[in-house]
Amino acid sequence: MPITFIDIERQKNWRIGLFFCLLIFLYFLFAFIIAQTIVFLFGWSNVFFVGSKIKYIAAITAFALTVSSVHFGISAFTAVDRVVEQIRAGVPDDEDGVHRVLLNVMDEIHIASGSKRQIRCLVIPTLSLNALAVTDLKGDAVIAITEGLLSRLKRDQLEAVMAHEAYHIFSGDCLEASVATSLFGVYAAAIEGVKDTVVQEFRAVPFLVLFWFLNSLGEIVTMFISREREYRADAGAVRITRNPVALAEALNLIAGRWSGSGFIHEGLEMLCISSPIPDHHDESEDWWDDLMSTHPPIGKRVDVLLQMARVSHSTLAGREKPRAVFQPEIEQLYYALDSEDTWIGPFRFSELTAFPWFTGSTKVSMIPTPSEFDDSVRSVDDIVRERIPVNLNMRTTFLCPACRQPLMKEAYVDTSVDRCVFCRGVLIDNDRIFRILARREIKCDERFRTLMRAVTADSLRSLTIRKQRLKERKLVHLTLCPRCGRSMFRSFYSYAFLIELDKCSMCRVTWFDADELDMLQCLIENKITDALVDRA
Amino acid sequence: MIAWIVIAFVSLCCFWAILSYNRLVTSRNDVRNAWSQIDVQLKRRYDLIPNLVAAVKGYMQHEKDVLENVVRARAEAMSTANLPKKATAEESLTSSLKSLFVIIEKYPVLKASDNVLRLQEDLVATENRIAFARQLYNDLVANYQIRCEIFPDMMIAQTFAFQSFEYFRADITEKKATPSAELS
Ligand SMILES: [Zn+2]
Ligand SMILES: [Zn+2]
Ligand SMILES: [Zn+2]
Repeated sequence: MPITFIDIERQKNWRIGLFFCLLIFLYFLFAFIIAQTIVFLFGWSNVFFVGSKIKYIAAITAFALTVSSVHFGISAFTAVDRVVEQIRAGVPDDEDGVHRVLLNVMDEIHIASGSKRQIRCLVIPTLSLNALAVTDLKGDAVIAITEGLLSRLKRDQLEAVMAHEAYHIFSGDCLEASVATSLFGVYAAAIEGVKDTVVQEFRAVPFLVLFWFLNSLGEIVTMFISREREYRADAGAVRITRNPVALAEALNLIAGRWSGSGFIHEGLEMLCISSPIPDHHDESEDWWDDLMSTHPPIGKRVDVLLQMARVSHSTLAGREKPRAVFQPEIEQLYYALDSEDTWIGPFRFSELTAFPWFTGSTKVSMIPTPSEFDDSVRSVDDIVRERIPVNLNMRTTFLCPACRQPLMKEAYVDTSVDRCVFCRGVLIDNDRIFRILARREIKCDERFRTLMRAVTADSLRSLTIRKQRLKERKLVHLTLCPRCGRSMFRSFYSYAFLIELDKCSMCRVTWFDADELDMLQCLIENKITDALVDRA
Repeated sequence: MIAWIVIAFVSLCCFWAILSYNRLVTSRNDVRNAWSQIDVQLKRRYDLIPNLVAAVKGYMQHEKDVLENVVRARAEAMSTANLPKKATAEESLTSSLKSLFVIIEKYPVLKASDNVLRLQEDLVATENRIAFARQLYNDLVANYQIRCEIFPDMMIAQTFAFQSFEYFRADITEKKATPSAELS
């Protein structure tokens, strides 16, 4: 019985009081050690013991109480904001097909549970597969799910995952975990972020020490959080959705894939549906592992769910949301007849447009030096005419930075991009890049991989051969933002993925030349598989 | 002494009666709230169906009967008030919608239309909301019914004539074989 069953199973949050006591004890210890050191070093015993020993202890206790109250208050009341900031979660986009489903599912869970407690849902921009729930003493409650998981779950599986997280919140055990996480884990995660930026310098040492210290404290707190709560939430999710098989399928899907190591910090693992950094504790079940681990073995959870549904393991047939399979094509390169009547090339279409003599009647060909009456020789106008789309009402008011032609709004994997039909370049809002990468499956064949390696190798040398060639002809290839007209900032996607892209920081958009988006995805996916192979 | 015991006993009984009465009222209100939720979602579905029918009508020349089925089922569901009959009518509306969705899948033009996709997602979501609201309602009715029937609370329920609720589920005898199609 939805409302009542949650009421009955609502747990007493006694552990939160325990955490507070632990915090007081830690600060007391800390203050006591410092005070004793000062006394010992400076021989100030007469200063400190002016009153009595009781006053001395009382002063330290008062200090510990004040500081731990402030620490606890800040942590417990701002847990949601801090975690959300840490994982860079964003509000779902109502214009996006997949996000709309997420919002609807959240609404369905509210109805099914009969709970009046409002939960917000957010999306984490990463390709990893995970979901987490967090609440705080303010009463704010959030479920965040990664773009990667969202792109792979069918509707009923998504419902099951959301119900699992919602149950954590309704039953109150999420509050304990959130407070436990926010006491140390969130700070550890934040410091890890800072640490990475100063890693090569000796200045990193204090960060490393602090990080290690907070992480160890976080681990102590973890001991008080039982891994049983995951079984209970699984059972609660089944009570809400009445579909154990869907949850088993979802868990099976998450198991063995990249569940967010490197993006979701270890300190937040208590909040997640599956531990982002699976370690040996998670796989076994003796008392020590029970104590140290926050998540039971995922296989065991799947077994329990399947027993509930009275079906065998063989019925789990890897049901997964079909994703758009995409075979990247290498962009057609053209040779062109320049102003001095010689064939030059090969160039991309967008590069051709940068030449001053380039007009609609310029002759282009796909082969190096064709004779004048060769079939392959055609004028630019002919090619352009072929590529004009039938549906012209998708035309936007933005112009392609290369061809100066209006970009076309194109629906693509449940979101939309602005594409130039002539040079195939795309303008994508920054927060949509991950959605596209998550929702399509890319097949990088050997030919494309070779090209990709060549481009990244060139990027390493920071100048491509093609650009050099353009430079010799004294052409400035400066891309202007189609939205605001300012010149875009050319930079690498990230230092891990060396693809040079044009970004506009004002409009938060990125311009991808024809095959750059595909190349980026190939790179990222190869990197992930490499990382998984390395770890295994 | 005896007088005191009697007074204590009577006041304990009164206390229990008030407690039990309040519990029954809360339980009854829960049921009513759950019902209003079903009602809201059913109305939402009635409103969405004409939009979807209008959006796909132009493309479906060969499957006119499927569309007519949906429209007829909607009209029937809207006009029925009696609870088990209404549940049956709603069920046949659900199954007629399912077969409509199966057909939409066959038309690439419709699948590419943002408007149709939006309407379809809205309808699927409403469909799920109805199912969940119904699940909640039936659970709460069961909960309430048990409260009204178990021994001590029963006396209060009968004294104050607490109404009984019907479950919102289709008559098993009238249930037809529904085409098995996946909604997602
Ligand atoms: Zn969980
Ligand atoms: Zn263009
Ligand atoms: Zn701009």
